[in-house]
Amino acid sequence: MTWPLFGMDMPVVLDLFIRMNIIVILMTVMVMGLIYIERKVLARFQMRLGPTRTGPMGLLQSVADALKLVAKEDVRPTNADPWVFELAPYFVFVPIFIGFVVVPFASGLEVRVLDLGLFYLLAASSVNLVGWVMAGWGSDNRYAIIGGLRSVAQSISYELPLVLSLLAVAMVADSLNLTEIVAGQAGAPNILWQPMAFLIFFIAMIAELNRPPFDIPVGESEVVGGPFVEYSGIRWSMFFLAEYAALFIMALVGSAVFLGGWAWPFGEQLGLPWQIVLTTVKTSMMIFVVFWVRVTVPRMRIDQLMAFAWKLLLPLSFAQILVNGAVLVYELPSGLTHALLAGSGVAGVFIMMWVINRSVSRPRPRPVLIPRTDQTWEATR
Amino acid sequence: MKGILKSMSVTLSTFMRKPVTREYPETHKELPERDRAFPVLLWAEEDKEPFCTGCHACERACPVECMTVLMKDNPNHKSVGGDSSRRKIIDKFWIDYGRCMRCNICVEVCNFDAISMNNTWAGHETSVYDRADLVMDLPMLLAQSRSGELKPWVAP
Repeated sequence: MTWPLFGMDMPVVLDLFIRMNIIVILMTVMVMGLIYIERKVLARFQMRLGPTRTGPMGLLQSVADALKLVAKEDVRPTNADPWVFELAPYFVFVPIFIGFVVVPFASGLEVRVLDLGLFYLLAASSVNLVGWVMAGWGSDNRYAIIGGLRSVAQSISYELPLVLSLLAVAMVADSLNLTEIVAGQAGAPNILWQPMAFLIFFIAMIAELNRPPFDIPVGESEVVGGPFVEYSGIRWSMFFLAEYAALFIMALVGSAVFLGGWAWPFGEQLGLPWQIVLTTVKTSMMIFVVFWVRVTVPRMRIDQLMAFAWKLLLPLSFAQILVNGAVLVYELPSGLTHALLAGSGVAGVFIMMWVINRSVSRPRPRPVLIPRTDQTWEATR
Repeated sequence: MKGILKSMSVTLSTFMRKPVTREYPETHKELPERDRAFPVLLWAEEDKEPFCTGCHACERACPVECMTVLMKDNPNHKSVGGDSSRRKIIDKFWIDYGRCMRCNICVEVCNFDAISMNNTWAGHETSVYDRADLVMDLPMLLAQSRSGELKPWVAP
């Protein structure tokens, strides 16, 4: 059995090996680039310069960081569970990595085209939750376990709106195959028909990635780094790698599913390099907005976080799925279908804003001091 | 919600602005006109000698005793065939910058306006590896004034 790669027919094993290696290298380089870009962008948001000393414009900063982390001692606390502690980074890192198998960078530039690609990706990338709990549990540290449990609570809560919003799009695209979803958007991107699903996906994505304003599991001022408290050196850097790789993969999926990936706006006949450029531009936009939100919005409280997921995002994404089903099942004329889908999406966005506004502007109950009477004053004497 | 959108626009406007960072060793901020670093001696260009006559006024006034002054007869005085009106002139002068607290008293008490506070960046970048290197002798103290780096004194 052979597969074509770069115009050559190759044995399946060799083909897989080459593609996986390309993905590993790409991922590592991308993560280092992302860390550099995040530091630069964040610095500019705060009117600073960011790294400038290491290499031209600080370009080698990530390399220096990586070398420092590799050279650092790998410490394991005496009371930590050796197996759980040492395996946790792999459980965080590997699911993210195998998620890259189906990501469509350009037409024909994915490791494998799976018919259940979206499903596979979500299933794979949610396994890393286990790694977070293992890191929290294995460290034998109270902060770590609080962080680990928080990350479970948060990730399970936000997994649902994330999946459901992607499901709503899959209904419109009539496929779970990521490559087909992208190819189907040659005319118009799905964000036009499903704006609310995109908004929900974006919010849930930030929460899934544990990035500010949803960085409750790793909040430095509360749980001093969450599950990573006890980690150092290469193991800690694996967590970091997984975090940024997850950001990259989520942005890629978002740009592929909602923004039209490589297909929109120039169609499928575009040359491969231009397709890659298009994907990169869209992904960078997503990532930039993630940084932008990170620098703007303060961290939410855990009860606000939970209420936001269960009381607002989940019902709205269910409603979107119901509307999509009702609209699509009757096979209305194409224009009407799209108008209904887009209209429901925009209406959903407004409902969302209204609900958030109402809950934010609601008068809060203030703590009431118990008036101290003379009698109680005497009683204390 | 409105607040979030508003703050997003605020952060975007800061993103568009020029960074305020000065990359210090390469670029220096312009010093204020009355900046006060360490005391240096002034050079009388017309007589080709220091203004200082070694009168010990600054040495006696110095609260941290960081100065050492030695006086000599001026070899360039009119009485010995020279063209200077200074009968006595400074022979040796040391200031320990490690002790100096930049109080400006030596400048206040000087009868000949022969000492002044350094108002250039050179006066602020004096770090060395050995405390002994902070003791400045006469040529070092005069160098700033002789090379014309010092900016003119600005009265308060």
